[in-house]
Amino acid sequence: MKKITAAFLGLGALCAGTAVAQMTPGGIGMQPPNSALAEEVHWFHNILLMPIITAISLFVLALLLWIVFRYNSKSNPTPRKFSHNTMIEIVWTVIPILILLAIALPSFELLYKEDVIPDGKQIVAQGDGQTIDFVFPNDFDERRRVARAGHLNVIIDDGSERRTLKNRKDFRVDGFGETNMVVSLNEPPARGERVIIRGGRNVNHRGEVEMAPTVTIKAIGFQWGWRHAYPDFGDFEVSSLMAAEDQTTPELYRLEVDNRILVPVGETIRITTTATDVIHAWAMPVFAVKVDAVPGRINETWFNADREGVYYGQCSEICGIKHSFMPIAVEVVSRPAFEAWVDEQRAFAGLEPMFETDNVKLADASPADAAAAE
Amino acid sequence: MADAHATDAHDADDHKPSFFVRWFFSTNHKDIGTLYLIFAIIAGIIGGAMSGLMRIELAEPGVTFLTMFSGGDPDAAANFYNVLITYHGLIMIFFMVMPAMIGGFGNWFVPIMIGAPDMAFPRMNNISFWLYGASGVLITLSMFAPGYGSNIGFGGGWVLYPPLSSNTGSPGPAMDLLILSLHLAGASSILGAINFITTIFNMRAPGMTLHKMPLFAWAVLVTAFLLVLSLPVLAGAITMLLTDRNFGTSFFDAAGGGDPILYQHLFWFFGHPEVYILILPGFGIISHIVSTFSKKPIFGYLGMAYAMVAIGFVGFIVWAHHMYTVGLSVNMKAYFVAATMVIAVPTGIKIFSWIATMWGGSIEFKTPMLWAIGFIFLFTVGGVTGVVLANAGIDHYMHDTYYVVAHFHYVLSLGAVFAIFAGWYYWFAKMTGKMYREWLGALHFWVMFVGVNLIFFPQHFLGLQGMPRRYVDYPEAFAYWNYWSTVGYGITILGMGIFLIAMIDAFFIYRKKAPANPWGEGATTLEWTLPSPPPFHQFNELPRFDKGDVKAF
Repeated sequence: MKKITAAFLGLGALCAGTAVAQMTPGGIGMQPPNSALAEEVHWFHNILLMPIITAISLFVLALLLWIVFRYNSKSNPTPRKFSHNTMIEIVWTVIPILILLAIALPSFELLYKEDVIPDGKQIVAQGDGQTIDFVFPNDFDERRRVARAGHLNVIIDDGSERRTLKNRKDFRVDGFGETNMVVSLNEPPARGERVIIRGGRNVNHRGEVEMAPTVTIKAIGFQWGWRHAYPDFGDFEVSSLMAAEDQTTPELYRLEVDNRILVPVGETIRITTTATDVIHAWAMPVFAVKVDAVPGRINETWFNADREGVYYGQCSEICGIKHSFMPIAVEVVSRPAFEAWVDEQRAFAGLEPMFETDNVKLADASPADAAAAE
Repeated sequence: MADAHATDAHDADDHKPSFFVRWFFSTNHKDIGTLYLIFAIIAGIIGGAMSGLMRIELAEPGVTFLTMFSGGDPDAAANFYNVLITYHGLIMIFFMVMPAMIGGFGNWFVPIMIGAPDMAFPRMNNISFWLYGASGVLITLSMFAPGYGSNIGFGGGWVLYPPLSSNTGSPGPAMDLLILSLHLAGASSILGAINFITTIFNMRAPGMTLHKMPLFAWAVLVTAFLLVLSLPVLAGAITMLLTDRNFGTSFFDAAGGGDPILYQHLFWFFGHPEVYILILPGFGIISHIVSTFSKKPIFGYLGMAYAMVAIGFVGFIVWAHHMYTVGLSVNMKAYFVAATMVIAVPTGIKIFSWIATMWGGSIEFKTPMLWAIGFIFLFTVGGVTGVVLANAGIDHYMHDTYYVVAHFHYVLSLGAVFAIFAGWYYWFAKMTGKMYREWLGALHFWVMFVGVNLIFFPQHFLGLQGMPRRYVDYPEAFAYWNYWSTVGYGITILGMGIFLIAMIDAFFIYRKKAPANPWGEGATTLEWTLPSPPPFHQFNELPRFDKGDVKAF
């Protein structure tokens, strides 16, 4: 464990450049997003809300300045005496309602995307140059069934690149909302090509169906640190305590931990939280994720990272003396590096390896990851 | 202070009791109001000094300053920081804003504005105040009693969430004393609220219907209802906490079948109306000042009154927007998003009605008006960030960051506190019989305006960058704006120094006697018909509004 810790901390130093880029010293905006969902949160705040609230504030300021300029006692010695104007009162009631509706509709959509754990699934079929009909078993709970083209991605993978087909133009679907759907392609995929059909209700702003979680992590908060269990992989636990000042860089001090947790890139990760003593909160701003860890309860949330790298969060519910000193560090890595790390953690826990981790796979992983998996 | 002006009183029967009887057994609404204001000033100085300690600690990364108070022990310093945030919040809310607005200005001016000789239950008014005194003693004791281990005070935030506030997180007696302190403060406020409701419903001058009543009285009436309906819920929650701690119950202990989230629901069912309790009287004060100095009647009087009623009502059905990250179901969050956004509508009506009141006016920018205009703008800024936070989808990012801290300080520290200063300068002449020096008041405003904005505006940036609140120490990346925020505190303290000078000047140097109505034709409410300061007992003959010759507003 010591060795791997040292490797991780060395990595932390290497990655310092990217890691602090997550927060900009003196910055005034949100941390750069690292998932489709976080991008949507950014859109909602930066493109929709910020301009609206800035405009409202400036409008009120402009009115006040005009009043100061025009209706001071020198410019306007005789006050007018009106005290009613039904029209203007209706206007300043109705327009705010319309603005709020314009905010509320995307707000609800975003909220449901954040809070409903994706349940999307995919089927993969080999093309044979003839078959054009592919069955997608739409066996979700009735309210979660694929019911329109937006809930479906049809992708052709020829081994080197993937292309997404367009509904109507490239394929047709029979049986939306029914338990078995047939996707009929206009052209049969060639031999060697793979057809990937993904369906589900949680669709991100790029039109991609979010898949059901492949990794579940149980984050257990305690005074003052986190334990992260991986129940899908033998329930081994990774204990994360804040790294001491001399074990990390000045930029990362108070963010870095002794043992980071690893997750694979591009996959849906489910985080469940609980706590052993008082309430804590598991937060990871680059994924726009924050969920309280409450003793006696299990909460859940999810994210799907776009890019590899190390990302930091901090406990976000006051939990006592060292509340400021229980950060969270997530390292997003490739699937092979993740599998290698899982097997290593399983070995620490006295479990057999789960994956066939070979040198080819590790060579695919970044050198840093290989070092971590050493 | 009014002793020196006994001769100002026009009433031949205006004999006051002896000093001790007058101030310790007081049943006079104006004297009790004065006591509340003195209480609030003392609490404000303590709460403000606490924020100074916090800001100095946060001026740069590292636990470097509070260790001076802990003998160099960083853990004890961190505990002290947590104690500071907790008691700063509680003192500012329960012992500064509430006593100043409701106990102070409410007691002083509600009876006068509605043409009543005193409050309905003068002796209950007295016990309300002294319960506050006892509550203040208990909270002070709590600060010095053991909390967690050998650390003194309770350091878990003003929300007192269990298990941090139960035996798990804070086994010492500090928390018990705090609970009892809040019980007394709550009982005091409930008694006060009953008194206000009774007074306003029964003791209005003949002919003054509710729809002719001045807006400050409306504001206090709505506030009193919020107090009566919400404080018992807080009392219930903290009583359950007390029995969890001392008598083996497990309302909030998951290990015994309880639920920590239950406490949060109960707390915020009180806590959200509480924030309107803090701001509604301010709305009333601002309405009067804007109307007075614009020399115009309030625009949309009924809309203003019922907007406050609407805000008060909706304030009871939005509590869980403080709890978006605790694990509520998604449909429940969606409801609270929708309900919360509704509040923006009546609040917008108020903002625009104030602007419309000024529109076409002949405005004199005396000190109270400066504070009022500052209030309107800064409350708007705090209000729109509230609309941002109302959206659960984005609150998952913002929750418990400095964005929230910036938001609620804009509506409270720059909202409620600006309203208190506005009211203070507006009624100072009426309460003391002396004038303050105008340029000192204006200087106080401008320095404070710059200072508080410099404290709190950068905190939006820190929140967007992800800095969690209630942190004694933070990563290097957050250092820049924290530094400027601390500089802003320095400017604010300078402003408070000017305030102190302005008051010393008014009492001892300037000593200019105030006329009955220093503000001229725009000041139309009843307090301006009485001499400054008003006689010990006013309205021995009730003013009448049923003859058609006098307007209430």
